[in-house]
Amino acid sequence: MGLMYWWILSAAALALAGTAWVAFRRSNRANARRRPAAHADRLTTLPEYQAALRRHRRWLAAAALACASLLATSAVAAARPVDFTTIRPEQHNRDIMLCLDASGSMSSADSAVVDVFAGLAREFDGERIGLTIFDSTAIQVFPLTDDYDYAQEQLMLARDAFDGRPGSSGFLDGTWSGRGSSLIGDGLASCLNSFPRSTEAGRGAKGDRGVPQRSRSVVLATDNLLSGDPIMALEEAAALAKERAVRVYALNPGDLDYGPGADQPGAQLRIAAESTGGAYHALDSPEAVPGIVESVEETATAAIKGAPRAVVSDEPGLALGAALLSGLALCVSLWRLRL
Amino acid sequence: MAGLLLRVKSKMAIFAHRKARGSLDGEYGSVFRGRSLDFDDLRTYVPGDEVRDIDWKASARHGSPLIKRYVAVRRQTLILLTDTGRNMAAVSRSGDTKRDIAVMALGVMGYLAHRHGDAVGLVSGDSAATRTVPAKAGEAHLERLLRVVNDAAGPAAAPSRLEDQLDHVVRTVKGRNLLFVVADELAAAPEMSRLLRRLRAQHEILWLTVRDADLVPPDSGGDSADANFYSVADSTFLPAQLAQSPAVRAAYAQAVAERDAGRKAMLAQAGITEGEVEGSRDVVAALFTLLERHRRAG
Repeated sequence: MGLMYWWILSAAALALAGTAWVAFRRSNRANARRRPAAHADRLTTLPEYQAALRRHRRWLAAAALACASLLATSAVAAARPVDFTTIRPEQHNRDIMLCLDASGSMSSADSAVVDVFAGLAREFDGERIGLTIFDSTAIQVFPLTDDYDYAQEQLMLARDAFDGRPGSSGFLDGTWSGRGSSLIGDGLASCLNSFPRSTEAGRGAKGDRGVPQRSRSVVLATDNLLSGDPIMALEEAAALAKERAVRVYALNPGDLDYGPGADQPGAQLRIAAESTGGAYHALDSPEAVPGIVESVEETATAAIKGAPRAVVSDEPGLALGAALLSGLALCVSLWRLRL
Repeated sequence: MAGLLLRVKSKMAIFAHRKARGSLDGEYGSVFRGRSLDFDDLRTYVPGDEVRDIDWKASARHGSPLIKRYVAVRRQTLILLTDTGRNMAAVSRSGDTKRDIAVMALGVMGYLAHRHGDAVGLVSGDSAATRTVPAKAGEAHLERLLRVVNDAAGPAAAPSRLEDQLDHVVRTVKGRNLLFVVADELAAAPEMSRLLRRLRAQHEILWLTVRDADLVPPDSGGDSADANFYSVADSTFLPAQLAQSPAVRAAYAQAVAERDAGRKAMLAQAGITEGEVEGSRDVVAALFTLLERHRRAG
């Protein structure tokens, strides 16, 4: 706790001293308006009067105390009591791109991922979310947006499509062009391209350098079973992600590696993901997706916490509350004194 | 300063229009019951004269009542005795300053004595000093006495202590005199009682009590700022609203009643006639009542 304008206290003390001086100087002439009476002991020796006088003095003391307290607390309140705290602000300026392999083997995992993000989108505040699906070619279902209603609607449609509901087959149109299947490097590169260019982002917001960069992450759900001839290999796409400061969180529903060899698909995906600062999760079943997505969320959140900042917040509640109580006490004592 | 005595005279003139003219002189003349056998002369009866002083034969011859005057009656000494301490700077029950009331009462009594041909002296003072002005006749002398009282009593004076003045009279005044005491609401005290009995044995005493301010005003409403008092003794503030509670009011009424009863009992025990005055307006009437009561009591 501290006081922003501590000098107000000394000013208040000076004012109080001046007022007290004036008040006590005037008390010499206080009897000018009163009438002299002889034999005051007729009244003052009465025990009833003495009791009344003691009560009167007690209320006077209470009034003086309340007045002093009111002055002190209001002076403190005027001096702006503030609380200095150091916080690491949690940033809500993340961009999350869902990058889902739409090949047939992935549909149940995709459905789970989309379902989880449909739920998360309800609680987002400031984050942007986008969805890209790919098989042999990548389709951007919706770009990065903070229109959560729309995002949720689209995610629901995607879930229905992945679940194979009737009437939703058109959703995946265009992801297959015959050049192969699960061209993961191309898919990831397409996802990376849906982020705005970082230089553009720096200049974008009216050239305001104070606006922090939005953190970027890609949730990549794939089994890394490549069949075809991609334009970009997974390693190249990962290098591109690293260059653009995009973290890749990979979810692999079918980790079919044989042994710890570095050329196995799962291991390649792990290396690619971890090289970007992200993480790799192997899924045993679609039911494990929510937990993993949440952990991805948490690690992403922890990773992008802002720099510690000193925050000065006004704390007038205590002083003003005490001033209010003092004022009430003063009113009550003045009422009792019938002044 | 247009003469304190002039004010006294005008006050008496106003009174004389209401009561029978000259009745105050008659009342004053009959204060002394002691009668000399030295017949001096006759004068016209005025209401208030002793009936037994009427010379019935002379009245029958003259056609209207005549009063016998004796030598002893004519030459008396009136000693005015009053407190000029700080208490007299306080207000009376009517709101007038007690000093003004005292000056008025002393002036009326002194002027009566002067018209009767008596010498008037003064004993006054406070706890610090007692002042004595020897008895002399004449209006100028009377004016001087009133000036002494008027100038001495004030808020800057020493505290009051009437016992000192009474004791001074006991020690210094010889012979039988008429003592006119103007005091305020004193409390009965053994020492005072002893002094009064001692004085009464020597002198004829008339006692006028100036009623003190009512510290608990009977009407609770009205202007409260004006009802606040402070004690002249030590400048203590007496908040009026403290006296408004029924308990204090009742206790005060009882205490004042007891105090008055004690004072009256003390004076009655000493054989002193007491009169009461509340304001300067009713000084003459109060003195008339006092003299009348004294005559009846005698």
